[in-house]
Amino acid sequence: MKTSIVGLIYTGEQYERLECLTRVRSVAALPVLGRYRMIDFMLSGMVNSGIRNVGIILQKNYQSLLDQLGSGKEWDLHGKRGGMTLLPPFAGQRNASNYEGLLDALKSNLSFLRRSQERYIAVTDSNILYSLDFEDVFKQHLECNADISLVYTKEREARRNGVGRYLGVGEDHIVTHLEIDPSIPRYENTYIGVFLIRRELLIDLVDRATSQRFHHFTRELLARVLANGEYRVCGYEYTQRSWLIDSVAAYYKANMDALDPEVRRMLFNPERPIWTKLRDEMPTRYAAGAKVCNSLVADGCVIEGTVEDSVIFRGVTVAPGASVRGCIIMQDAIISRNAELENCILDKLTTVREDKRLVAPSTFPIVVGKNLVI
Amino acid sequence: MLRKKECVAMLLAGGQGSRLGILTRHTAKPALPFGGKYRIIDFPVSNCTNSGIDVVGVLTQYRPLELNAYIGNGAPWDLDLNNGGIFVLPPYSTGKQGEWYKGTANSIYQNIEFIEQYNPEYVLVLSGDHIYKMDYAAMLASHIERGAAVTIAVRQVPWAETDRFGIMNTDENGFITEFEEKPKNAKSNNASMGVYMFTWDLMKKYLQADEADPLSSKDFGKNIIPKMLAADEKLVAYKFSGYWKDVGTIESLWEANMDLLEVTPPIDMHDTSWRIYARNVGMPPHYVGAKGTVTNSLISEGGVVEGDVVSSVLSGGVQVDEGARVIDSVLMPGAHIRSGAVITRAIIGENSVVGEKAIVGEKAGDIAVVGNNTHVSAGEKVAAGVQVGE
Repeated sequence: MKTSIVGLIYTGEQYERLECLTRVRSVAALPVLGRYRMIDFMLSGMVNSGIRNVGIILQKNYQSLLDQLGSGKEWDLHGKRGGMTLLPPFAGQRNASNYEGLLDALKSNLSFLRRSQERYIAVTDSNILYSLDFEDVFKQHLECNADISLVYTKEREARRNGVGRYLGVGEDHIVTHLEIDPSIPRYENTYIGVFLIRRELLIDLVDRATSQRFHHFTRELLARVLANGEYRVCGYEYTQRSWLIDSVAAYYKANMDALDPEVRRMLFNPERPIWTKLRDEMPTRYAAGAKVCNSLVADGCVIEGTVEDSVIFRGVTVAPGASVRGCIIMQDAIISRNAELENCILDKLTTVREDKRLVAPSTFPIVVGKNLVI
Repeated sequence: MLRKKECVAMLLAGGQGSRLGILTRHTAKPALPFGGKYRIIDFPVSNCTNSGIDVVGVLTQYRPLELNAYIGNGAPWDLDLNNGGIFVLPPYSTGKQGEWYKGTANSIYQNIEFIEQYNPEYVLVLSGDHIYKMDYAAMLASHIERGAAVTIAVRQVPWAETDRFGIMNTDENGFITEFEEKPKNAKSNNASMGVYMFTWDLMKKYLQADEADPLSSKDFGKNIIPKMLAADEKLVAYKFSGYWKDVGTIESLWEANMDLLEVTPPIDMHDTSWRIYARNVGMPPHYVGAKGTVTNSLISEGGVVEGDVVSSVLSGGVQVDEGARVIDSVLMPGAHIRSGAVITRAIIGENSVVGEKAIVGEKAGDIAVVGNNTHVSAGEKVAAGVQVGE
């Protein structure tokens, strides 16, 4: 069935507090939950909602992302009608090559917005882990006769002091207030950076805002739209769990939460599969002396030591006598004999040598950068 | 006219595999799951891809639906090509004529037109019931060097088992002098692996002559090879010494799965230079729960293990509930073992459920089998060697 929504994923934002995890990649390309990258959840969510045409705005460090996306085949987005459109930065006379915010990015990619045929557009940030049904948002958007629908969550864990965007929502889902980076949020509704709007209206708003030299979508464009009361802005409450990945601690928690079967049931609903790039690994091999407990383990690993309360990505080796507790171990890492790791995040292709110990408190996990040898 | 290809592969996937009993009652043998995330057909097809052969015809006849869906457009094996690719070739009607494939040779005969589209020099004939990694390009190089009419891959098998195989007797130069099908007193232990490299123009000649012979059963082993021998063609045995396992029986299918659990498996599946590709279903990593234990086993994605798994192969999406025990067994995709059930030396079919405290298989004796989509009731007992299911 044809859909009337085009999707747009913005991957430009930088998050200082993710430290070296996003130094080598954008947050959209951040590996999560054993075999995925963040963008898999946004892309799969859109595809599972019937969206057949998705634009992806790329900014800095997008090699990892390009590698992940390929032709879009894994998400069935490689067709002739629509599919995936990669939108890398293009420095022209009127384009900023370095986006200060989403508004800059939208302005630079107006041609994609204009070229699309769909009547509506769904835009999402890429630092949020969710299993959003965009059709539901669309349904409420029509029911409320909204001009713009903003997706928010009431989850306490999504609220942060000093950062974030919070919505006051009144009757009939009408958004009455927008708070940006308050020291203590007044509203419990955290805007998760996902909105739905008529495509022509977005083009119009972007044109008007950039003529005033604005750069930021929420802070400048959205705040003014709300202040003028010219348009009907509604809030859509996403009631399932979501994870805002804006710091190492938040990243660590999201991965650890996936050890909970309830969370996995929600994120990995068989009717809404999360698609990702394939690696053709063989199943994971557990040796005779392996001990594993409360852990997620992807394909292609060789587990000969102990693994507890951990998330293990593809192709990881845990040698005999090694122990891994409360850790996130990314692709192709090697944990040598008798090494001991507790509450660590090991990036891709790291090696921990024999007998090395790396123990951190669970509230402050140690991050070991890509390719490092300890 | 399509662009010329040096070599086209034809994979014989039409047989039922009746020795696999209940497992192949509803699906063709090459579509059977193997090794946690593969299907048998992944091995010959991945070998083709890795050997640079990019036209693969798959001859199907018996219950092909699952196989067809699995092959799809061939993308998992990089065979979704504009020039070449993988093609499912069922028998078809030609005006007033049209019939089922009468034998292995006849199935190729009926597809002469398919082969000639590519104007090949050589045709590789493969079967869909073996687990092995083999470089067909090296075999082709030998075929060309020896100037053979057909090169037949052979492997030494234990003398005690020669009566299960087609045995090739050769002279000192490796030329085949005699072919014996399952001999009682074999003169050699060089068994045919069911991998034939033919020079196409000769092969075509023999296929056409065999088709015209009313007494022939249209089979490579029984008819084509003996006729070529009788006509003094150059038949060369190509020795292969790597891992090769026929998985045509319940016992051998189970054994081949168990081979993957050895400390150094006889077939290296981690080898990135010779990957075995498979259609992947996109499931999350598997989860081993707080009370689950896993030793000496292979576990694939999507599984949830809350019970004990010992020396077993678990395919994608398998569930082993708390208190269940799985020992020396093969669980096919989506199998669910409820709490308290004990599975020993057994193969559990796709999407089957073994109820609470049921007992399947025994420590000794033949392998027990639960067919696909079968429910073993709580407390039920399935003895060694017994097959249950539709």
